[in-house]
Amino acid sequence: MNAMNASVSEIESLRERGLLEKQFDDPVQQREAATLGMWVFLSTEIVFFGVLFASYAICRILYPQGFAAASRETDMLMGTIETAVLLTSSSLIALGVRAIKLEQRKTAVWLLAGTAALGTTFLVMHGFEYYREYTEQLIPGLNFARGGPYARAIELFFCLYYFITGFHSLHVLAGVCVIAGLALRVARGSFGSERFTTLELTALYWHLVDIVWIFVYPLLYLVGRSG
Amino acid sequence: MTATSPPSPPAHAREHEHKDPGAHITPVRHYLAVLATLLALLSLSAISALFSLGYWNTIVNLAISVIKTLLVMLFFMHETEARALTRTTSALGFIWLAILIGIMLTDFLARSLVPPPW
Repeated sequence: MNAMNASVSEIESLRERGLLEKQFDDPVQQREAATLGMWVFLSTEIVFFGVLFASYAICRILYPQGFAAASRETDMLMGTIETAVLLTSSSLIALGVRAIKLEQRKTAVWLLAGTAALGTTFLVMHGFEYYREYTEQLIPGLNFARGGPYARAIELFFCLYYFITGFHSLHVLAGVCVIAGLALRVARGSFGSERFTTLELTALYWHLVDIVWIFVYPLLYLVGRSG
Repeated sequence: MTATSPPSPPAHAREHEHKDPGAHITPVRHYLAVLATLLALLSLSAISALFSLGYWNTIVNLAISVIKTLLVMLFFMHETEARALTRTTSALGFIWLAILIGIMLTDFLARSLVPPPW
């Protein structure tokens, strides 16, 4: 039996086991189509957060000193640790996808659970930040109380801060739920070296959420820190 | 001995035989090296923010963010192994955003330079 025959019968077997939809020639083409579709969705996410960054750019150009003063009110240490937490979680989910490709199910379950745990850590830390800002009266529309020449600009900064970090946290929350669900499905044996596209696409989403934060961190936490 | 030769797979299927991006396994140490670089860059951006560099603070921090994004995309999101179509599509979201913000800032920043004639 030559290689070509093997591949044709293999493809028939994949179709019978429900691993290959009829519109695709082979699993590679199917996976690439799925990856492409995921990237189109991620592009819409990039533009979604991009709108918030665009508003930020305009406001910061208008009120440079106000934004520096406002950024100094944020918790830089928390922001830095949160960034490290998200970067680490990204590497864990990448290793998780690698493990499932190698059929190392147990490792994959732990790596995915670790990713979800780090995502939860991020959310809890953010919760503490929000609480501290509440006690320091920094939440616009709720209890904002800052005086001085930059009061309006600081209020504007914190509006953007809550929109950007709030939407980002919602994305993290969605990711944590999906990844925790996938960890359970991996534990039940739903995925393996032939069926891992769902994991790979979820990982892509998680990495994008990480990328958004990579830009949020310097723009919200690191302005006007010197001097 | 077969009487008829098996059907030849389509051209793109043959192309896949040589290169299956999904099946590629990257060594663990590569992921850890990327993570270490990302964390080093994070410390660099935090430390650089404490020095008074004027507008260079923003430029340095955004440059570091771009490098971190490229590392995540190339190695965690497996763009190094992806096909040209996937790579192009993944870049398009960022390019489109750059065009939108670029045009917006061109308008906004030029308003003070070129006052309207009315």
